[in-house]
Amino acid sequence: MLTKRLAFSRWWMGLIVLLLIGFPFVSDSRGALILLTQIFIYAVFAMSYDILLGYTGIISFGHAMFFGIGAYTTAIFLHRWDHSMLSFLISLVAVLVLTGIVSYLIGVMTLRLKSHFYAMLTLAIAGLFLVLAEKWRDLTKGSDGFTFYIPDLLKDRTALYFFALAFMVIMFVLLKRFTDSPTGRVLQAIRENEQRTESLGYKILHYKIIASMVAGLAAGLSGSMYAITLRFVNTAVFGTNVTLDALLMTIIGGVGTLFGSILGSALILLVHAGLTDLAKIHWIFERWMIFFGALYILAVMFFPQGIVGMFRQWRAKWNRG
Amino acid sequence: MTLLKVDRIETYIDQYHILQGVSFEVKKGGVTVLLGRNGAGKTTTLRSLIGLNPIATGAITFKGETIHHLPTYEIARKGIGYVPEDQGVFPELTIEENLKLAMRKTDEATLERRDWILQLFPDLKTFWKKPSGLLSGGQKQMLAIARACVNDNELLLIDEPSKGLAPIMVDKVMSVIMEMKQRVTVVLVEQNFYMASTIGDDYYIIDDGRTVHTGMMKELKENEALKKEYLGIA
Amino acid sequence: MDVLLNLTINGIATGSLIFLLAAGLSLIFGLMHVLNFAHGALFAWGAYFGVWIYTQTGSFIVGILGAIVIGAVLGWLLERWIIQPVYTNTMSQIQVTMGLLLVMNECIKVFFGPNQVSVQLPSYLNESWLLGGVILIKYRLFVIGVGILVFLGLQYMLKRTRLGLIVRAGVMNKEMVQALGINIKKVFLYVFILGSGMAALGGMLFAPYSGVIHAEIGMDYGILAFIVVVIGGMGSMVGSALAALLVGVLGAFATFYVPSVALAVNMLLMFGVLMFRPAGLLGRG
Repeated sequence: MLTKRLAFSRWWMGLIVLLLIGFPFVSDSRGALILLTQIFIYAVFAMSYDILLGYTGIISFGHAMFFGIGAYTTAIFLHRWDHSMLSFLISLVAVLVLTGIVSYLIGVMTLRLKSHFYAMLTLAIAGLFLVLAEKWRDLTKGSDGFTFYIPDLLKDRTALYFFALAFMVIMFVLLKRFTDSPTGRVLQAIRENEQRTESLGYKILHYKIIASMVAGLAAGLSGSMYAITLRFVNTAVFGTNVTLDALLMTIIGGVGTLFGSILGSALILLVHAGLTDLAKIHWIFERWMIFFGALYILAVMFFPQGIVGMFRQWRAKWNRG
Repeated sequence: MTLLKVDRIETYIDQYHILQGVSFEVKKGGVTVLLGRNGAGKTTTLRSLIGLNPIATGAITFKGETIHHLPTYEIARKGIGYVPEDQGVFPELTIEENLKLAMRKTDEATLERRDWILQLFPDLKTFWKKPSGLLSGGQKQMLAIARACVNDNELLLIDEPSKGLAPIMVDKVMSVIMEMKQRVTVVLVEQNFYMASTIGDDYYIIDDGRTVHTGMMKELKENEALKKEYLGIA
Repeated sequence: MDVLLNLTINGIATGSLIFLLAAGLSLIFGLMHVLNFAHGALFAWGAYFGVWIYTQTGSFIVGILGAIVIGAVLGWLLERWIIQPVYTNTMSQIQVTMGLLLVMNECIKVFFGPNQVSVQLPSYLNESWLLGGVILIKYRLFVIGVGILVFLGLQYMLKRTRLGLIVRAGVMNKEMVQALGINIKKVFLYVFILGSGMAALGGMLFAPYSGVIHAEIGMDYGILAFIVVVIGGMGSMVGSALAALLVGVLGAFATFYVPSVALAVNMLLMFGVLMFRPAGLLGRG
């Protein structure tokens, strides 16, 4: 039964990937290409968030800090050093190191606390990063930000598209492996019932830190990718709305389902693009955050399982009846 | 007259099926004891009665009225007092404040009841203005019982009052409950068989979340086989 | 010497404002175990709405009253419709109140425009006294006065009224309060409304203090209030007062002497407390 379900999903996913690969050849729209590229990148960011929220049951309001670290690190490497592919790849390594250290330190210090505290603390820490980025103008040029060149290989929008698509697929596979692994299962057990898992002999804090680090690393990488799509970086990458985007995408798509995060990313970014267009008609749409915020509240209160979750429930009912 | 009727109640705590069919009847003016091993579901039964752990199925009727769907505070107001296992005294409130909080009315009858209780428990008067967290176990127990009695409650649910008390305190609590018997009906959860058998009138044995046996206390006292099987008393 | 005195008074005044925010948060968390992320949004709403009333009516006092009213009304709506359904579920609670913060912040921009609003003090408060060579700004003292009044009022409510008794007991043992026949959910509502009103009052008082308000103050001061509540201890009103004073005064001195570190000071304080005394200075965790 389980394998049947997995195979079913795999077929669909394979099909979607094929469609996505074919897309640039059938469509001329540059805007669509760029939008899809963004969707792929945010999908990874959302998946990284899902590791925390959906799989381990940790709410963080500071996830943007890893995104920002990734974005700035890559941007600074490409700007200060040179904009070759090598420079880019080395920046990725640097991102992994930095986000690893930060996520570890913060995890050790704050994960032992109750979820309320952790949520608030991560919010505050992310805020600190934002302020740090604003003040350290030498490095970051503050809220003005700076532009930079990216490796020649990726200058072509289509090439970047495929690069991002590959990035998303690879990260998806890696993260899926992680969640299916014994470690990943322990995380899910923690989400279900922390006390029970602890009484079974697992060191909860240890596992939560691992989750925090995996999530941080993935988020950092997505930040790097984001920077090269934009060819520009400023303090907005540390903003709270970045974290909230991830939160929304994860919840709408379905917590605890990596695929749901991808769906959520697509949905949110599409709606965002749509609303921005509509904003030209009526100013109320500029405040799209209200819609998202309200949607978010309703989603949490009334359908916390998200789209994929509801789909699974519906399918389970169908299989039973 | 049947004061309380509990009909095949089942209660879950999270996904655990704690009560799987508990039924009993309490007649007015006596002490009904709920006996059973640790973890049998006695405390959960009391908590279900007072609404802190709402039942999943079954029915609870008090004086002919169904109460199991009501919120705890409404159940309490119908005239049911609750003395939990940990006494539930508010440690940073003084004895005076604890009682004041409990008193739903400040009419003569309530004040008279309060004075009567303070007479039974002179210690409470001595430490009137002290934070109740500083009291000894026995004194806390008295405070908890006092709180449950100060209103015109008709039914008291008392959970293991003798737990952790020195024998002399146990005697004291026993004599108090015997005195109270005249005014209120009591459902008592008690592991201390000496106490249970001395003040109890009838009993129900709960095992694995089910009522498995019932009868009059004086018969149980003689029945060694039953005592051994369900209570582990050799 | 007068620099020190001025800084101290500034610090106490700021602390007073933070206290108004934090006291409500602390009581609400201590009693209901609800951490309302949107509490900061009430601060912002109090500021904007109060200032609007002030500009419409020309009376500062009416503006203050308006702020309190909007705080209470919003608090009532929030508690009734959004908080109540998520009492028991911590995850949902955190997310829902965060979402609320967003929506409320955005709504400010909708109702009052996305730009900053500058605020003028009424003339009778915009003066200063010269006391022994030291300049004392009247408004600062006014704010401190309000803070002290509110503190005393809360203390009285907690220690001398039945409602206060129920709140104090509820912080210790919610279940037992209900078992005594008291509808604690109603008390939750009152406490929530009270806390919200205070937060809004804080926002209104803050507006002319800083001269300028923008929609983000909800988030910024919300975090600050949280830091204070953590340091002082959840559920302890006195703890919030002390911590607010501490944070206010330290902040004032830090901003003056080492401005770049000022923000970090609060964070460090909070970390320190959480590491070594997680229940806060006076709280019960």
